[in-house]
Amino acid sequence: MPQTTIYVAPRTHERTPRPAVATQELARLFGRSAALAGISLRIGRGATIALLGPNGAGKTTLLRILATALRPSFGTAAVDGFDVTRDAGDVRRRIAFLSHDSGLYDDLTAAENLRFAATLRGLAEAEAAVATALATVGLTADAPRRVRGFSAGMRHRLALGRMLLGTPSLVLLDEPHATLDADGMALVDGLIEAWKAAGVTVLVASHQADRVIRLADGWARLDGGLLLEVGGTGISVGTPVVVGVAAPVAEA
Amino acid sequence: MSALRADASAALAIARKDAIAELRGRQIAGSTLFFATLVLLLFGFALGPDSRRLAEAAPGLLWLAIVFGSLLIVARLHQLEAEDGALEELARYPIERHAIYLGKLLAGLAAVLVLGGVLLPVVAILYGIDLAAAWPALLATLVLGAIGLAAVGTFYAGVTVRMQAREVMLPLLMLPVVAPLLLATVKATSAALTANALGDLGAWLQLLIVFDVVMAVAGAATYGHLLEE
Repeated sequence: MPQTTIYVAPRTHERTPRPAVATQELARLFGRSAALAGISLRIGRGATIALLGPNGAGKTTLLRILATALRPSFGTAAVDGFDVTRDAGDVRRRIAFLSHDSGLYDDLTAAENLRFAATLRGLAEAEAAVATALATVGLTADAPRRVRGFSAGMRHRLALGRMLLGTPSLVLLDEPHATLDADGMALVDGLIEAWKAAGVTVLVASHQADRVIRLADGWARLDGGLLLEVGGTGISVGTPVVVGVAAPVAEA
Repeated sequence: MSALRADASAALAIARKDAIAELRGRQIAGSTLFFATLVLLLFGFALGPDSRRLAEAAPGLLWLAIVFGSLLIVARLHQLEAEDGALEELARYPIERHAIYLGKLLAGLAAVLVLGGVLLPVVAILYGIDLAAAWPALLATLVLGAIGLAAVGTFYAGVTVRMQAREVMLPLLMLPVVAPLLLATVKATSAALTANALGDLGAWLQLLIVFDVVMAVAGAATYGHLLEE
């Protein structure tokens, strides 16, 4: 794979003291099981944070709530001070999300998929942005090909390219190294570095702990829907809401 | 860009994307046209060779075939979105929810109009009806009927797209709601084919306009809730 120059638009949203991400007792239930069981954390602007934990830890659920794809069952979550439920439109303008599913249309070409995304993001220079995104993810030669014939890795690259359309202030990456070869993984690492340099906040959920911790300023470990610990810089545990404290009962 | 222009641009982009996907994939046209034509043929066999009886039943059979065909159209248009998380991706764009509904409605409308445009001459040939004199009224009925079917179908396809039993649930939910539309389109088509029934035609077309407006506004206002989990 030829080396490509990675260009990421610098953060253009207003600089305010509000944290990039703030959650308070955030919980999400699926039926009777809690995918997230009351998480309170704050992530500073421009920080790159690794979300670690085994399958079912709640990493994807947290990212999907921040991306407005899932509603919280309890608690709150905010991006740049905008509530993910009440101000979903403002949140959507600020995020770019790479999920497990590519969200691509098989009967459209690679370029058409990105043009569609650029139109819905309201980009003025859509053609130039699409060409730059395709070049960045190494798919310029495949631009006129229908996505139906793409391998899983190529679809993943194209989904990464779609994230480069627009100027997000928060990038959410769910297993970004999955299905990629060594060049593709290096591309993801390069993109994370570029977002970091551009002042964009990045949350990356990954099973490749060593790889993402090297890139990250801080990390959070989740398991069973609970936030077990945080470390590094740029992330802190929010103050949990104390509903009541039972006083010890003295033995007579 | 004004909010209205942004909504229109997003809706047209969604409809255009569906049209391109359909023109290349032919996932809707083949099956729907074959199914609807088969329905007309089978009804024709069931009614027998009596040409007068066939001509009387033609408006009802035409619109039943269009309604059945539109079920397949709206279901398939939403299934395209459900594949590989495209619907969730679509819902995450910073666009108004009613623009997504309008885009899917426009795509459905175009497909139902094509279906109706193909079935009208098929009905004329199979059931021995002369459409030449009635075509302006038939065209108006077809357009208004197609808008109503696309408006209701888009909404209920959104309701059922994440259900396991969506193939069963979509007709169960949609058919009772389109019953007034079916009645109005059949009566309007009958009136159009009967030269001395112009008064009736106007009344049925007015009813279709009211149905279309109410369903489209209700769909646009509520469709956004269907996109969230």
